[in-house]
Amino acid sequence: MLYQTTEQHEALRQRVREFAETEIKPIAFQLDQTNGFPAEQIEKFGKMGLMGIPYPKEYGGAGLDVMSYAIAVEELSRVDGGTGVILSAHVSLGTWPIFAFGTEEQKQKYLVPLAKGEKIGAFGLTEENAGSDAGGTETVAVDKGDHYLLNGNKIFITNAPKADIYVVFASTDPTAGTRGISAFIVEKGWDGFTFGDHYDKLGIRSSSTAELIFNNVKVPKENLLGKEGQGFKIAMATLDGGRIGIASQALGIAQGAFESALGYAKERVQFGKPIAFQQAISFKLADMATMLHTSRLLIYSTAELKENHEPYSMEAAMAKQYASDCCQKIVDEALQIYGGSGFLKGMDVERFYRDSKITTIYEGTNEIQRVVIAAHIVGKPPKQKSQRRSRTKTAGATGPRKNIMFNEGSNEEKVAQLVAALEKDGYDFSVGIPIDTPIAEAERVVSVGKGIGPKENMALAEELAKQAGAAIGSSRPVAETLQYVPLERYVGMSGQKFKGNLYIACGISGAGQHLKGIKDASTIVAINNSPNAAIFKNADYGIVGNVKDIMPLLAEALDTGKPKESAPPMVKIKRARPKKQAPDYNFYICNGCGYEYDKELGDEASEIEPGTPFEKLPDEWMCPKCGEGKDEFIKA
Amino acid sequence: MYNVRKVTDDLYWVGANDHRLHLFENIYPIPRGVSYNSYLLLDEKTVLFDTVDWGACRQYLLNIEHVLDGRPLDYLVINHMEPDHAACIEEVLLRYPDVVVISTEKAFLMMTQYGFEVGENKIQVAEGDTMDFGKHKVVFVFAPMVHWPETMVTFDTTNGVLFSADAFGSFGALDGKLFNDEVDFDRDWLDDARRYFTNIVGKYGPHVQAVLEKAGTIDIKILCPLHGPVWRTDLGYLLNKYDLWSRYEPEDKAVMIAYASMYGNTESAAQVLASELCERGVTNVVVYDVSTTDVSYLISEAFRVSHIVLASVTYNLEIYPKMLDFLNQMKSLNLQKRTIGIIENGSWAPQSGELMSKFMDDMKLMDVLGEEVSLASSLNDVSYRELREMADAIAEQINGKK
Ligand SMILES: Cc1cc2nc3c(=O)[nH]c(=O)nc-3n(C[C@H](O)[C@H](O)[C@H](O)COP(=O)(O)OP(=O)(O)OC[C@H]3O[C@@H](n4cnc5c(N)ncnc54)[C@H](O)[C@@H]3O)c2cc1C
Ligand SMILES: Cc1cc2nc3c(=O)[nH]c(=O)nc-3n(C[C@H](O)[C@H](O)[C@H](O)COP(=O)(O)O)c2cc1C
Ligand SMILES: [Fe+2]
Ligand SMILES: [Fe+2]
Repeated sequence: MLYQTTEQHEALRQRVREFAETEIKPIAFQLDQTNGFPAEQIEKFGKMGLMGIPYPKEYGGAGLDVMSYAIAVEELSRVDGGTGVILSAHVSLGTWPIFAFGTEEQKQKYLVPLAKGEKIGAFGLTEENAGSDAGGTETVAVDKGDHYLLNGNKIFITNAPKADIYVVFASTDPTAGTRGISAFIVEKGWDGFTFGDHYDKLGIRSSSTAELIFNNVKVPKENLLGKEGQGFKIAMATLDGGRIGIASQALGIAQGAFESALGYAKERVQFGKPIAFQQAISFKLADMATMLHTSRLLIYSTAELKENHEPYSMEAAMAKQYASDCCQKIVDEALQIYGGSGFLKGMDVERFYRDSKITTIYEGTNEIQRVVIAAHIVGKPPKQKSQRRSRTKTAGATGPRKNIMFNEGSNEEKVAQLVAALEKDGYDFSVGIPIDTPIAEAERVVSVGKGIGPKENMALAEELAKQAGAAIGSSRPVAETLQYVPLERYVGMSGQKFKGNLYIACGISGAGQHLKGIKDASTIVAINNSPNAAIFKNADYGIVGNVKDIMPLLAEALDTGKPKESAPPMVKIKRARPKKQAPDYNFYICNGCGYEYDKELGDEASEIEPGTPFEKLPDEWMCPKCGEGKDEFIKA
Repeated sequence: MYNVRKVTDDLYWVGANDHRLHLFENIYPIPRGVSYNSYLLLDEKTVLFDTVDWGACRQYLLNIEHVLDGRPLDYLVINHMEPDHAACIEEVLLRYPDVVVISTEKAFLMMTQYGFEVGENKIQVAEGDTMDFGKHKVVFVFAPMVHWPETMVTFDTTNGVLFSADAFGSFGALDGKLFNDEVDFDRDWLDDARRYFTNIVGKYGPHVQAVLEKAGTIDIKILCPLHGPVWRTDLGYLLNKYDLWSRYEPEDKAVMIAYASMYGNTESAAQVLASELCERGVTNVVVYDVSTTDVSYLISEAFRVSHIVLASVTYNLEIYPKMLDFLNQMKSLNLQKRTIGIIENGSWAPQSGELMSKFMDDMKLMDVLGEEVSLASSLNDVSYRELREMADAIAEQINGKK
C-alpha cells in the first residue's frame, strides 16, 4: 500500500489552488478587514463544478471522491480559512444530510441546485442552550396537519444569511430529549424566517455567520428530512462527515502559514544568514512539517474510509481534533518566525493565526471530539445518573419575570395598561435622568434594537427616553453596525450592563448576550413586532407591535406636560417573583416509613431514572427506606 | 391512690399526668406537662386500650386495678407502639398473664424488638377486622404513619368512641379536666395541640388526610386520643384544624416575624416591620427571637400563619445557626404554601438573604416576596424604605387588594 494521492487528486489540487491564488488571495486581506463575503468568487467556483465535488453527477455533482473534497477545502483554506469553511459548511453540513437522508423529490428539488453550486446550503443545529449538548434544543416544530409550525432561534450558523437552503433541527416532541429532535429543510425567504445579528468574529471573517430566527414558519410536511425523531441521528452523522471538512480547513490554514513562514525564514537575514539556518528556527519548521504530514495522513485515510463506507466516526473525530490542535501550534510558530512583522495587520500569518482558532471549536469542540474518541475506546459509561432538576421551572436568561403581555384592545389601550402597571410598580414619571447618563449608572434606559428601522426613527426613541426619564441605550448591532448610538451605549454581556430599575427594549429581539446584560434590571419592558422574540420571555411586560407606532404612544402617555425633575438617588425597585406552581403530578408516600417518591428524582438506589412516574415503577420495586412494596404507597 | 375518670357508663380513663418530664421525646419542652391516656372498657369482656409511659406506670396500674375491681383483664388493644404508650405492656402482661393482646402485625414485630414477650396470647388484626366484646363491637382501622407505621385506631361502633392513638392529641397535662367541654380549649389548649401535631405528625400530612377521609365515613361521637382532652362536643372544630394542618393550609391570615439577631439591629428591624404592619391594619402579627424560642414553638406558629418573615444576620457567610435550625425543621416537616419575606443583615458580605431565599425556593410551594430587605448592619433610609415596601406587599395580600 502506497500512501499517496492519485494523479487525479493532484490535478484537482492544482485547479483549486490556481482558483484560490488568483481569485481569493488578492482579496483575502480586504475580506478579513471588511467582514466581506466572496459571493462572486463562490459563484464562479460553483460554475467550475466544485461546489458538489463528492456528489453523483446525476444529482449535479462532480462525482468525485471524499478525498477530492477534502483537498478542495484544504486548498481554499491554504489561502483563506474563511473561504474554506464556506465550502465545507455547504458540502458537508448543508448538502450532505439531503443527499444521505432525503427523498428522491427532496434530492431533485434541493440536492441538485446545491450540488451544482446554484444555491448555497447551511446547517442549523446550535442554539443558545444547545451548543455541545444538542439535547438542549428548544426550537420546536409543531405538527399542524399539512405543515409544521417552526419557532425558535439558531445561533452561530455558518453561511447564514447568504445561504438559500437550511437544514434545521427542531424538537417535534419536547418530552423526548434528543429522540424528539427532527430535521427539516427550510428555504430562505419563507414567511417568518429572518436572520439576526451578524457576528463580529476573531477570524474566518470572510465566512458569514448569523442567527436564524423562526417565527411561526410554515414548513411543508414534505420538507421533513428523514423521519420524525431521527434528527439527532442525522445531525450526528452529518457532523461525522463535517469533521473531515474542518480537519481539512485546519490543515489548509496550517499549510498556508507554514509555507509563508518557510519562505520568510529563508529570506530574512539576521546574524549574517537567513534565520531558517538557525537551528531553533529550522527545528520549528521540521516540527511543523511533521505535524502537517501526520494530519494529512489522518485526514486522507479517514476520507478513504468514508468513501469506502467503512466506519469512520472515531477517525473523523481524531482527524478533526488532531489537525486543529496541530494547526494552533503551527500558526503560532509561523507567526513567531515572522517576528514583529507577523504581528502586523496585512501579514497573512497574522490572519492565519486568528483564522485557526475556530477549528478547535466548531463542529464539536476538541473536548467533545475526545469524548467521541474515548467513547469508541472505552465504550459506554455505566448507567449515568441524570442530574436532579429543580422543582421550579428554569427561568429565562434574565431570571424569573412576570411575562405579562398587553394584547387586548387598541395600541393606545395597550400602552395605557403598560403605564398603569409601571406606575403601580412604583415608577414616578415626573422625575427622570439625563438621556446621556452612562448606562451603568442609569436608573432607567430606553434601548433600541435593529427593529428600530431607519435612523430617523431614533428621534422617536429619544423622545420616549425623555418622557420615560431614561437614558438611551441599544443592542450591539445598532451601535456597532448601524452606528445610531456611540459604542459605549450598547447593552450586553460584552457591552454595558444595566443594573437599574426600568429597561424598555424597543425592537430588540433578545439575543443571549444582550439578555445577560440586563438580568439585574428590576423591570424589563419589551416592544417588538415579533410575538416569538426571545425578549418577551425575558420581560415583565410586553407589547407586540411596531416600535414606530408604540414608541410615540408610550412617550405621549408618559408625558406629564412638564419637564422631568431630576431624579432622587436611585432606589432599586424589587423584582416580582412568579408564584410557585404545584407540580402537575402526585407524590407517593410510603405507609411503612413516610418516604416520599418524587418522580423528578426517581430512586437512585434502585436505578430508577429521574422522570419515572410512580405508575411506571416496576412491580418488584420497593421503598428504598423500609422495603414496603408499591401497593403500600398512598397518593399525596 | 387510684385516679380515674368515667368517659361513658362503661368506659374509664385510666391514664396519668406528668409534670416532671421537661422534654417530651427528650426534645419538646412541655411547661404545661403532658397526659398519657389509656382507657378501660368494662363489657362482658374487659378491654384495655393502650398503656402509658414508664414514668406513669405505677399510677396506671393502680387505676386499672381499681376499675377492674377484681375482674380479670381479657384484652389489651395496642393502637400505637411508641413507648410513651407502650412502655408498660410488659408490666401488664406480668400482672395479667391471661390477657390477650390485640394489635397489628407491625406492632407485634416491634413488641419483639422492645423485648415484650406476648407469646401465644395474641390476636393479629388486619384493616377492617372487627371484634365483639359483648355489648360493644369494635372495628380496627389502620392509620399508618399517623405517627408510626404500625399505628391503628379502634372504633367502637356501639357508642361511637374512636380510640384515635396520637391523632387529635395535645401536649399539656389534664389536671383533672378530662373533657374538651371542661376547658377553654381556644385559650388554654389550642397552641399546645397545634405544637404537638405540627412537630410530631406534621411531616405526614397525606397520611393524616387519609385517616380523616376514613373518619368521614363513620359516625364518631367521642374522640379518645392518647394525649390531652377527650372530645365529646364540637368535634368538627378539631377535625377542621386537623384538615388545615395536614393540608399545610394556614389557619390564620397572620404574620410571623422570626428574627436572628446578635446585637439587636436585626431585632430592631423586625420590630419596625411589626409596627409598620400594624399601621397598615395587619395586627395579627407575632414576633419571635429564634435564639430564645424553642424551635417547636416556631414550627407551630409557622403552621398557623399565612406569612412568615425571616430576618437573619449573616453569620460567617452563613445563615445564623439558630435560624437555619428553624428552616431545616420547616423543611423536614414538609411545611408548604406560605408566603415568605426575607430580611438579611450583614456588615461586610451579607449572604443570609440569598441563602434563605434559595432555601425557600428548594421547599415546596414557598413563595418568596420580591420585596427583600437588606440591612447593612442596621436599618437606614434605604432599607427602611425596603421594609415599608415589604409591609405594603404583605398588607396588600392580607387585607386584599385595594
Ligand atoms: C464561527 C462559528 C460558526 C459556526 N457554525 C455553525 C453552523 O454552521 N451550524 C451549527 O449548528 N453550529 C455552528 N457553530 C456552533 C458551534 O458548533 C458551537 O459553538 C460549538 O459546538 C460549541 O458549542 P458552544 O459554543 O455552545 O460551547 P459549549 O458547549 O458551551 O462549550 C463550552 C466549553 O465547554 C466544553 N465542554 C462542553 N461540554 C463538555 C463535555 N461534555 N466535556 C468536556 N468539555 C465540554 C467545550 O469543549 C468548550 O470548551 C458555529 C460556531 C462558530 C463560532
Ligand atoms: C460571629 C460573627 C460572624 C459574622 N459573619 C458575618 C458575615 O459572614 N458576613 C457579614 O456581612 N456580616 C457578618 N457578621 C456581622 C453581622 O451580620 C452584623 O454584625 C449584623 O449587623 C449584626 O446585626 P444584629 O445587631 O442584628 O446582630 C458577623 C458577626 C458575627 C458576630
Ligand atoms: Fe407517637
Ligand atoms: Fe404519643
